[in-house]
Amino acid sequence: MERSQVGAMEPFELCVSSDLTQLARISEFVAQSARQAGVSEAGVFEIQMATDEACTNSIEHAYSGHTGEVRVCCWVEEGDFVVRVTDFGRRFDPNQVPLPDTSAPLESRDIGGLGLFFMRELTDHVEFSSDAVQGNRVILRKHLPLGR
Amino acid sequence: MNIETTQLKRCNIIKLEGRFDSNTAPNMEQALKDSIHSGVFRIVVDMSGVEFFSSAAIRILIMAYKECRRWNRGDVRLAAVPERIAQVLDLAGILTFIETYPDTTLAVGSY
Repeated sequence: MERSQVGAMEPFELCVSSDLTQLARISEFVAQSARQAGVSEAGVFEIQMATDEACTNSIEHAYSGHTGEVRVCCWVEEGDFVVRVTDFGRRFDPNQVPLPDTSAPLESRDIGGLGLFFMRELTDHVEFSSDAVQGNRVILRKHLPLGR
Repeated sequence: MNIETTQLKRCNIIKLEGRFDSNTAPNMEQALKDSIHSGVFRIVVDMSGVEFFSSAAIRILIMAYKECRRWNRGDVRLAAVPERIAQVLDLAGILTFIETYPDTTLAVGSY
């Protein structure tokens, strides 16, 4: 654990198997951690949504039906509540995912890309990284209210 | 997560409750498909009890909307969307197209 990065809150970590039934548990875990860090109720919902999309990507695309581990770690750093989702499946390149056209009529709407769109829109910063040792990581940041 | 379908003369009401993510969205897909396969293309989705609605659930909503509106045979309309869920649907550009009503009575009456 990267203790040097920890701010006002000890980091929380949850490790689950790559199974969609775990999404509810992950969501509850992130909500509890975010509330403890002082994220607003609207912000808690947004970071839950973004984390759910990141974990769904890990389970459905990175592991794609194979069994593996998804790690979710939450901490506070430099005024941000941070969620890191790690998997050790197939590498994910966010640049290969086309952005959805949210103004297009639904009849002609391309069905993909919405999860990544939510990760970007519902957080203040998203970062993707991949390497053989540390796995595939998505780091989601949400600014904490000032004065904390 | 709970789903309940009520058959009315004008349309079916599908009431969604709880959490709809990639794990539970297939149940919602099944309920919508059951209505479509039984020949009822006018659907009201009662969203009042929805707590969480991910992109997987939104994709299914879009698919059902397309399917029901084909050949002008019906529509999918939403009722009582909680504020937070509405914000997410709006962000995805859904509310511009799908008709939304404050409650199920008004949504059913719109058909």
